[in-house]
Amino acid sequence: MDKIYINPLPVRIWHWTNAFGFILLIATGLQLRYLDVIQVMPFQTAVQAHNFVGFVLIANFFLWLGFYLFTDKIKVYHPELSPAKYFMASFRQARFYGYGIFKGEPNPHHASAYRKFNALQSMTYQIIMMLVVPIQFFTGLLLWDVARFSSMVEMFGGVRVVDTVHVIFFIFFTGFIFIHPYLASLSHTPWAHFKAMITGYEEVEDE
Amino acid sequence: MGRLIGRLCRKGLGLASMVALVLLLPAVAANAEENTLSKETTACLKCHDKEDLTKTLENKETLSLHVSTSAFIESMHGKTDCEDCHSGLDAKTHGKEKASIASKREYSLSLQGSCRDCHKKDFAKYEDSLHAALVKEGSKEGRKDAPLCADCHNQHTLRSVKILGPIAATPCAKCHEEIFKAYSKDVHGLERVAKGKSAPICANCHQTHDVKAASLGDGIKEACLGCHKEAVKEHKDWLPNAALHFEAISCPVCHAPGAQRRVNLRLYDEVSKRQISEKAGDPLFKKRTDAADLKETGLNELALYNLLKEFNKDGQGHVVLRGRLEVSSGVEAHQLADKSKAIKDCNVCHQAGAQPFQSVVLTIASPDGRPLRHAVQKDILNSMLATQSVKGFYAVGSTRIGLLDNLLIVVFLAGVGGPLVHIVIKWLFRKERRKNGAAAHADSQAQPGDRRADDASK
Repeated sequence: MDKIYINPLPVRIWHWTNAFGFILLIATGLQLRYLDVIQVMPFQTAVQAHNFVGFVLIANFFLWLGFYLFTDKIKVYHPELSPAKYFMASFRQARFYGYGIFKGEPNPHHASAYRKFNALQSMTYQIIMMLVVPIQFFTGLLLWDVARFSSMVEMFGGVRVVDTVHVIFFIFFTGFIFIHPYLASLSHTPWAHFKAMITGYEEVEDE
Repeated sequence: MGRLIGRLCRKGLGLASMVALVLLLPAVAANAEENTLSKETTACLKCHDKEDLTKTLENKETLSLHVSTSAFIESMHGKTDCEDCHSGLDAKTHGKEKASIASKREYSLSLQGSCRDCHKKDFAKYEDSLHAALVKEGSKEGRKDAPLCADCHNQHTLRSVKILGPIAATPCAKCHEEIFKAYSKDVHGLERVAKGKSAPICANCHQTHDVKAASLGDGIKEACLGCHKEAVKEHKDWLPNAALHFEAISCPVCHAPGAQRRVNLRLYDEVSKRQISEKAGDPLFKKRTDAADLKETGLNELALYNLLKEFNKDGQGHVVLRGRLEVSSGVEAHQLADKSKAIKDCNVCHQAGAQPFQSVVLTIASPDGRPLRHAVQKDILNSMLATQSVKGFYAVGSTRIGLLDNLLIVVFLAGVGGPLVHIVIKWLFRKERRKNGAAAHADSQAQPGDRRADDASK
């Protein structure tokens, strides 16, 4: 087994801050929305915690963005700028998870320092990080102080519309925190990707 | 010796009396001048200062004609001559020929002009008030209890507003009896009795002459904040989204802890930033709401949507609904408790089934400034279909959209169930995978460089 340095320190810090942050946001979000069902903490505490963690994660997002914008690691998202290849590779990866993996077919993706994501992962993460997460943070910011951002809230269709968008993405992230670790366990060993996100080094199978 | 001392004392006292008289004379003279009534007024009061002086009117009401001279002199009108207000009387015939007066109300109405002649500013405010609107309406629909000047102010005895009277003497109590009873027991009423003018009475919040419907516009929030200047800051210290709470919730919702609450959806023009008013003589609101709610079960999502569309067709601007949480009645708005008893528990509002969201009304301002209301089904607050209609009103937890709750359950089940199903399928295919793995291993030994099969289930 070879070891490659796949997750630099800033990425690991960002990842785990994001992971625990999102779990906290989902937990406090559930408390806020379902006070009639869940009474783990007072509503006000949930609001304060939700707001605090939200701001931490907004700052954390810029850590991630800065790291990728100012290093050549941005290549991990687009090793080859070929949409046709990219979509084909995504399809192959989806076929692998939905069919090939059961039959024992080899994983079509092999990780390397600049190719750490499979095409499906890369596409999903880009949509999440460049669209879903910013929208979630932005709507969260608007809801944090609706009166302060009232003109923008009005522009986006009112507080109910902004909240509905925020909740739809909250639901998405709730699904994500189950699916993401499971997919991460579908490596050559169940813990390989988890270890890589802690140590930075991933064991890759010999070619 | 004793006689001498006695004489000196008497002389001394006499001197002192003289000095006192000289000193007090101007004051007495001034007082006398202040209380001097004109010859004409004195003549009037000669007859009218008799307690049993009455007149039977055409409608058989008995009108007291008694004017107490002392009370009149001490009143704010003490320097006014009778003729200034009662200019229509002819001295030659007054008291000799029978004058015909239809009723007390007609008589008060006939004297309104006299008030306006001197109190121009206040009268203009009054004419723009809800009270005056009711008076105007009274002429056609029989509303005979709307207040005229004389109903609140007794012209012959009225004292300066600077003089603190008992709270029950406030004229508002006559018509708004239940509200006054509530006020007299609430934090403001009790403070007024205990501390006087530092606590508000009716006119301090509702204005004396330009009385408006308290449930329209921003209500009387400005009046609250006028005295409680630190309120916004104090709320910001602990209340998240405090500015939004101030905008969407009337003060008594939290400060009258025992009150019933409701959601008031107001038709609002986004362009002029004002609550929509009905045009006079064209009762569109009633016509449209009645037509949209034939079963009288309250407006539903579709009815609300269509109603907004119709109001937007009128070309008044961009009509939207603005929600506001308020107490259900004027009485409840006057059951304000001490600050320590105000509701600070977020649970009261922010959970499904919370009481304030069990009643919803749609409101428009009538041409005369009164609110016109129609019931709305409470379920619209939790309906995805009403997202557009009530886009400006949302309370976390309590007005959440039910469809999104179902979506969350589906996504949660998919998030947990998806991996479980995947694991089970992998387990079912374990033999085939082993077989394929062994074959691939054999192949790789024959053709080095080929990839090995991934087997995460090992």
